[in-house]
Amino acid sequence: MTDKIMIAFKSIGKNKNRNFLTMLGIIIGIASVICILAIGDGFAHTVTKGMGNHNTRNKVILQWQPTSDYNTDGGFTQNDASALAKIPGVDHVKLASSVTEAGAKVTYRTKKTSIGLNKQPKHLKLIKGTYFTMTGASNGIYISEDLAQKLFKENALNRLITVNGTVFVVQGIYRISNMNYRPDAYVAKTTFKQLFASQISRDQAKLYVQADANKKQIGKTAVKRMKQMGEEKKTGKYSVSHPDQISKQFTRILNDITYFIAFIAGISLLIAGIGVMNVMYITVSERRKEIGIRRAFGATSSDIRNQFLIESVVLCVIGGIIGIIIGYLFVSIINAFLPFKAIITPYALILSLSVSTAVGLIFGFIPSNKAAKSELVGLLKEE
Amino acid sequence: MLKVTDVGKSYGKFTVLKNIDLEVADGEFLAIMGPSGSGKSTLINILGLLDQSYTGEYLLEGKDYKDVSDNELSQIRGDQLGFVFQNFKLLTTYNVYENIEVPLVYSKKAQNNKNALIADVIEKVGLTGKEKNLPSELSGGQQQRVAIARAIVNRPKLIIADEPTGALDSKTSKEIMNIFTKLNKAGTTIIMVTHDSEVADYAMRTVYIRDGQLYNDEKSVRNHD
Ligand SMILES: Nc1ncnc2c1ncn2[C@@H]1O[C@H](COP(=O)(O)OP(=O)(O)O)[C@@H](O)[C@H]1O
Ligand SMILES: [Mg+2]
Repeated sequence: MTDKIMIAFKSIGKNKNRNFLTMLGIIIGIASVICILAIGDGFAHTVTKGMGNHNTRNKVILQWQPTSDYNTDGGFTQNDASALAKIPGVDHVKLASSVTEAGAKVTYRTKKTSIGLNKQPKHLKLIKGTYFTMTGASNGIYISEDLAQKLFKENALNRLITVNGTVFVVQGIYRISNMNYRPDAYVAKTTFKQLFASQISRDQAKLYVQADANKKQIGKTAVKRMKQMGEEKKTGKYSVSHPDQISKQFTRILNDITYFIAFIAGISLLIAGIGVMNVMYITVSERRKEIGIRRAFGATSSDIRNQFLIESVVLCVIGGIIGIIIGYLFVSIINAFLPFKAIITPYALILSLSVSTAVGLIFGFIPSNKAAKSELVGLLKEE
Repeated sequence: MLKVTDVGKSYGKFTVLKNIDLEVADGEFLAIMGPSGSGKSTLINILGLLDQSYTGEYLLEGKDYKDVSDNELSQIRGDQLGFVFQNFKLLTTYNVYENIEVPLVYSKKAQNNKNALIADVIEKVGLTGKEKNLPSELSGGQQQRVAIARAIVNRPKLIIADEPTGALDSKTSKEIMNIFTKLNKAGTTIIMVTHDSEVADYAMRTVYIRDGQLYNDEKSVRNHD
């Protein structure tokens, strides 16, 4: 086999220019396949990572949604949780919140407003004041530039404001950009726990189920039970939530895009394949004398067919490898501009090489067969 | 070695060979003479199993190869027959060694002592030291020696040569004929087409073709005219 591949390399090397032009189509086709797959894989990777990798295998998540905007602080109670835990197949139930922000009322002298508030993050860029992690039940507060403007005309730093009846000192002011969502104010972690955490509506119940449980059935039963006896059944609606639904939808759109571009890559590979077929036809007709000689000295017609098929495949695989290298370079370049990182997976490499081989086999077949079936006496008249 | 009975061949209405009867014994050296276009190559192609479309019967070592598979025909051509052509028919991008190697690539026998086999035939035809040369770097006589080496590397029983000296001067022709004579003395049957009577003199026996018909001596050809 290796000597047959060497024969192929030798014949391809004889017509470098012509064969390079033929390979160009494959190179472009494969390079674009690599780019498409890298962008697709990179995007999918980022999206699933961003979704927090929800492990929903052993739980059913029940969601409470308020029916009106005025009654948003309802949700599940401890009684609801105990009722849900009694459903057959459910191991235990945890209550949680889909939002981490607490609603609160702020007053400064005569001014009053409603805000969303959260515990302070690790890092925050301030436009006024200095940022540090407040320890214990501190009464410091960081507020947004918008809130500062609403409450004070100027110089917000170190002023005292009342939040839900407790007095806080303004430590700093930050700006909310269009890109990042932020609440109107941040307080110390401990303070948040003590004063505001209970304000957050527990609108999610996580039902941890036993390994062999029928999650669909449990979800249905849970919703039915809450509709009958849920303590907030009058102010809201219960449903089963599917955290991976969004990522599924994303993946579907992504797949559609991938299929579309793959279709275009397919067309360029088809054109490349026709080029390969053409060059193989030329090769076969140029080498009738060689075919005749080989046949006279013992080559069977399938030896001849294989020789040209191998040549066609080697030609395409060389093109494929160059395409992979160029695709890799392109991916490195576009990674400088993409908001996420495009990645080349081993699967993409295997696919590219398989596609190159397939193009070589498919489009080399007819010319190779022609070479194999040529009449020997005619071949030997060739000079 | 072979027996031909009432073999004929035509292209459409045009008859190239008719009523050919010929028998060649093991170890014989036969020359076939005749003017250009008389059907010599056509006949020798049939004898060399390169052409299966003929009428009549042709037995090689008692076996009819008319309807055997391509694989079997190829194997017989590669292992039992050796061809030498007028215009050498070497692969121009392959060197001497690689040209001689071609029959071994497809042969089922002798894969492990390739180098020894090739070195042996290179010595036999007197080309030692030229292994790496391309055909274009050799004289006509040397190229025909390469072709002969290629034809005998698989140690065939029968050599089929179609005007082997047709492209060579008379001195070189003699050298080539000396090689043929040696091969024949060593036991190889040779059938050679030529239109040079001096070359034909190296053979044990000569037959003549005229307009597709075979005659056993020159007189009968003249009588026919
Ligand atoms: N494929 C073919 N179609 C038609 N006629 C052919 C074909 N091949 C050979 N011939 C004819 O057959 C005759 C014998 O050819 P050939 O055996 O090559 O002659 P020779 O070798 O004696 O010079 C010639 O007249 C030639 O024109
Ligand atoms: Mg001839």
